[in-house]
Amino acid sequence: MWRHRHFYLFISPFFVLFGVFGLYPLLFSFYLSFARWDGLTELTWAGLGNFATLAHDEVFFTSLWNTLAIGILYVPPMFIGAFVFAIILNTAWLKFRGFFRAAFFMPVVTPMVVVSIVFILLYGEEAGLLNYLATRIGAKPIPWLVSEQWSKPAIAVLLVWRWTGYNMVLMLAGLQSISHEYYEAAKIEGAGPFQRMWHITLPLMRPIFIFCSIMSLIGTVYMFDEVFVLTQGGPGTSSTNFGLYLFNVSFVDFKFGYASCMAYTVAFFVFITSLFILRLRRSGLN
Amino acid sequence: MGSGAPSHNTALAAICVSSLALIGATFASEPLALDPNVSAADLTGDIQVWGWNIAAASLDKLVPPFNEIYPKVRVHVNMTGANLQSRFLLSLSAGVGAPDISQLQLAEAARYSRTRRLTDLTEVARKYEKDFPASFWKNCVFEDKVYSIPWDMGPCAVFYKRDLFARHEIDPASIETWDNYIAAGKLLLERSGGRVKMLALGTGNMEGLFEILLQQNGGQMFDDEDRIAINSPQARRVMSVIRKILEAGISANLTPYTHAFYASFTTELVATYPSAAWFGGTIKDYAPGTSGNWGVFRLPAMEPGGLRTSNLGGSVLVIPDQCPQKAAAWAFIEYTLCTREAQIEQYRNFDLFPAFLPTHSDPFFDAPDPFYGGQKVRRLFSQDIERIPPLNRTKDWFEALRYLTQSLSKWYADGMGSTEDFLAQLEDKLSRRLGRDVAPREPSEGS
Repeated sequence: MWRHRHFYLFISPFFVLFGVFGLYPLLFSFYLSFARWDGLTELTWAGLGNFATLAHDEVFFTSLWNTLAIGILYVPPMFIGAFVFAIILNTAWLKFRGFFRAAFFMPVVTPMVVVSIVFILLYGEEAGLLNYLATRIGAKPIPWLVSEQWSKPAIAVLLVWRWTGYNMVLMLAGLQSISHEYYEAAKIEGAGPFQRMWHITLPLMRPIFIFCSIMSLIGTVYMFDEVFVLTQGGPGTSSTNFGLYLFNVSFVDFKFGYASCMAYTVAFFVFITSLFILRLRRSGLN
Repeated sequence: MGSGAPSHNTALAAICVSSLALIGATFASEPLALDPNVSAADLTGDIQVWGWNIAAASLDKLVPPFNEIYPKVRVHVNMTGANLQSRFLLSLSAGVGAPDISQLQLAEAARYSRTRRLTDLTEVARKYEKDFPASFWKNCVFEDKVYSIPWDMGPCAVFYKRDLFARHEIDPASIETWDNYIAAGKLLLERSGGRVKMLALGTGNMEGLFEILLQQNGGQMFDDEDRIAINSPQARRVMSVIRKILEAGISANLTPYTHAFYASFTTELVATYPSAAWFGGTIKDYAPGTSGNWGVFRLPAMEPGGLRTSNLGGSVLVIPDQCPQKAAAWAFIEYTLCTREAQIEQYRNFDLFPAFLPTHSDPFFDAPDPFYGGQKVRRLFSQDIERIPPLNRTKDWFEALRYLTQSLSKWYADGMGSTEDFLAQLEDKLSRRLGRDVAPREPSEGS
């Protein structure tokens, strides 16, 4: 090893940086999950105390339920929308394809703060555009952001708007990677458009779908800015998702030990779920 | 790396040790009081100050007059904006990177005092104790040591729109209690055909009104021994006022400090805003065109003859312990917060209501304010502030406040169930979440 020290020196920057900014925080926060620490006063060992608190923390379970509920509300429409738009953009006859692709991708690159201002104005109960239109057609105004029932759907609508384009681009790339020969062969065999979709497109898109699912899973669990700027988790805890609760516990309450404990617990379940999704993929390929 | 090159390691260690020593020398405590041999004109320093929006602008404007007394102290005010609290905490935790002076909310002063990462100001600040309202000073002291100096306070009253009151024939002088206020709200609603609401009350953010009312009638979230004291007769009275307001349908469900809320300053949706003195600055900021149409009446009392003020918000200045030029930092705080001229200037320019009581005898307080149609609102705000009961904050104030917000929102969403159940559940939640005991019940007052 000493003989090749120069080579190690050349590759050392990565390892030093990874050690300081990657590995050390990971290990330290693992250690913190067994401690109580506010960042200022003495750190005290808590053993499994944090985990015991977590098991009885109703806000934590509410936040997990909210995370799941928001996920269920926004992922299916987002996936379907992304897939339909990807297919339309992939057709040969469409004009201005570049424009549409850019337009659908715009929400992803628009700063969240700007988006939130627009959405808060759209959602306003007393003077919002959506409620103005609703009252025009004789419907009752919807208390989008001020009622515990509507806060999750309001966030889900924003999420669909924001992330459909991103998934569409991924799916479009997947569609374009499917060779035309399959379709031509199928046509010659007399397969109709639905048969081609069912027997060619969908099976070959499977890896893309799985990738999008994992990204959405992780994105949903750790989602923060959409909720933070739109509702701050309210009213009550009705839209507090896991990411926001984690932020509140660590950077508002300064309970770094408890926050680490929560983060590690949830990361463990995300890890298991991801493994499960990947297993699905492997079984599909066989 | 391996075992070789011992000389390099030694050199590295030497560098580390010497730089640590250097850092140590930089942050070694410097005396707080001005050396009697150094005149104000000779005091030197380069002070970084953190504050937010209006407050920072207000301090910035005081730098030139400050420099007339202390010409060699340079002051840089940073409007750090978002996340000041988190960044301040992290810099205290790291031991480097904190400003020489920082603004904090009054309610979070207790949390920072107990970390002992702030400079103990007792020796220089004790003499000002009598110059600040007791309710305020209490939150600046921890274990008999002064860690922060009160800046502006938030004495409460009700801001109202003169045109709406005149058109619908509501007399603000007739509103003395919250019951009067709610009755006036119903009249207003009726006479305007349901278009004008008495107040803006976001059902997801009712903690502000709750806090105003709780402090007004001497209730507490925490008792003197930091136990949970929310399940009290005072809190029950607070809840009955909030319930009556909601049931009367006189409130517009506007989330405070959002665009729709600010927009209501210029429309006819909302007639009054029960809030604190600094709220006037907010109105002037967002609706300068409404000047002259505003009036202020005193906060309605819980019962006839009761206290007609309370406090909401307010801030303090602190010196982190790592500040290397404490004498200069203290000189700036003392000038801006403990002199009449500086405090009056801040009230005049930025609606920061002085916590420094000697200012309240200034003629400025008796001058009519054109923004309020010539009303003498400053005198109105200053009335009875020494009678405002103090709130015990503890380090968990904001966390407790969040549970209060959440519980109130849920209580409303679930159809406003019984107050007793609500307070019992809140008490239980606070006790469990904060790991604190429940305060022993006070003997109930015949209710």
